[in-house]
Amino acid sequence: MSLTHLNARGEAHMVDVADKPESRREASASGRITMLPETLALIAEGGLPKGDVLATARIAGIQAAKRTHELIPLCHALALSKVAIDFSLNEAESSVEVTATCRLNGRTGVEMEALTAVSVACLTLYDMCKAVDKGMVIDAIRLDTKTGGKSGNYHRYGGVGETADMPVVTGAEGPIVTGQGHDGQVAVGSRCDIASPCIRVKCLAELRERLGVGEVSVPLSELEQHDVGGLKVALKALDPRLAGLDEGRVMCAVNQVMAGDHTPITDDDEVAFFPPVTGG
Amino acid sequence: MADDTQRYDSSIRVQEAPFDAGVEQHALLAGRTDIGAVVCFTGLVRDFNERPEINALTLEHYPGMTESALATIVTEAEDRWALDGVRVIHRIGRLAPGDPIVLVAVASAHRRAAFEACDFIMDYLKTRAPFWKKEHAAEGDYWVSERHSDHQDASRWKA
Repeated sequence: MSLTHLNARGEAHMVDVADKPESRREASASGRITMLPETLALIAEGGLPKGDVLATARIAGIQAAKRTHELIPLCHALALSKVAIDFSLNEAESSVEVTATCRLNGRTGVEMEALTAVSVACLTLYDMCKAVDKGMVIDAIRLDTKTGGKSGNYHRYGGVGETADMPVVTGAEGPIVTGQGHDGQVAVGSRCDIASPCIRVKCLAELRERLGVGEVSVPLSELEQHDVGGLKVALKALDPRLAGLDEGRVMCAVNQVMAGDHTPITDDDEVAFFPPVTGG
Repeated sequence: MADDTQRYDSSIRVQEAPFDAGVEQHALLAGRTDIGAVVCFTGLVRDFNERPEINALTLEHYPGMTESALATIVTEAEDRWALDGVRVIHRIGRLAPGDPIVLVAVASAHRRAAFEACDFIMDYLKTRAPFWKKEHAAEGDYWVSERHSDHQDASRWKA
């Protein structure tokens, strides 16, 4: 393992990416800003003097992602195809959790853009709230997932979005890929890995690799509506990576039969999401 | 239901191992003298597709759903044409250019039914059975996209 930003003489240089193949790159990062409970309450009810804190921080994060190359010396300027910033208010810990996802089809990864977006969104939250709370702490800024490119996929476990007190999406093991000759085969028939009534969700093939999610179990109680559409809403709320379920053509099967958004689901159903089929 | 079970076990197979089209055709015809035509289609791995210089491809599938989707397609073919036997074998795992991927063998009293049913089964298999191809090319790995022409081909059979 060597540092790509250092040349043979140990000097900093920008990596020449002209000959690298283009591929779809995506990275998600997260971070947290912890504050007084009263400050969090003010954010929630929009009672701060500078106005809508979250909307402002979201725009700041998106702008920052686009200008990462101006801040980080050896970063390339990238034409990002997507930047999404999400906030989750955690009353138990009196914090705002920030996640950022960046994507493009290109020759370099977008993890610096995602990390920059989270950092600047957190800084903007601080700026918007500092009049009432100067003791806020920004921490746990980290890369959660990175997909595409030569260095392979990366997925962190135990990120801000999946702490132990949020028993939401469990069993998120890596893709069930068993090496040469078995690449991508998935196991079926596993039981729910949580005790309460739940749905077993699988993402297959390209979708599994793009989202970084293989199999997850979702408590039935998380669903407002007990159908595939309701499950998608719950999945997107529980794990930001699953926002990608709405991108491109994604098909669905309930208990191994093709299904649509209105197909009802119940306890211990197996729901699979996958891209259009390409066999034969 | 008993027929379905038997067909499920013997005539529809999803496997890593290669197959021998001659052996499969022979098995389909064994002991039969009422069959007048057998059409045997074999699909092979090409060394070019979306990109040139493909070194290998990996086929993923959805175990359980794959077999039942194939069984549904075969049943629909048997409803549409008078068939005397069908065999569908689809391989999974890592395959190299030139390797056989899929076999569809259809036997009937007359050639037209055998040709058409074989064509129909392949068109539906390509658009309805949960298989996905990942190609390993000189430039890198990528998942194969669906093709509009495959959907057009399958739509020819709409009643």
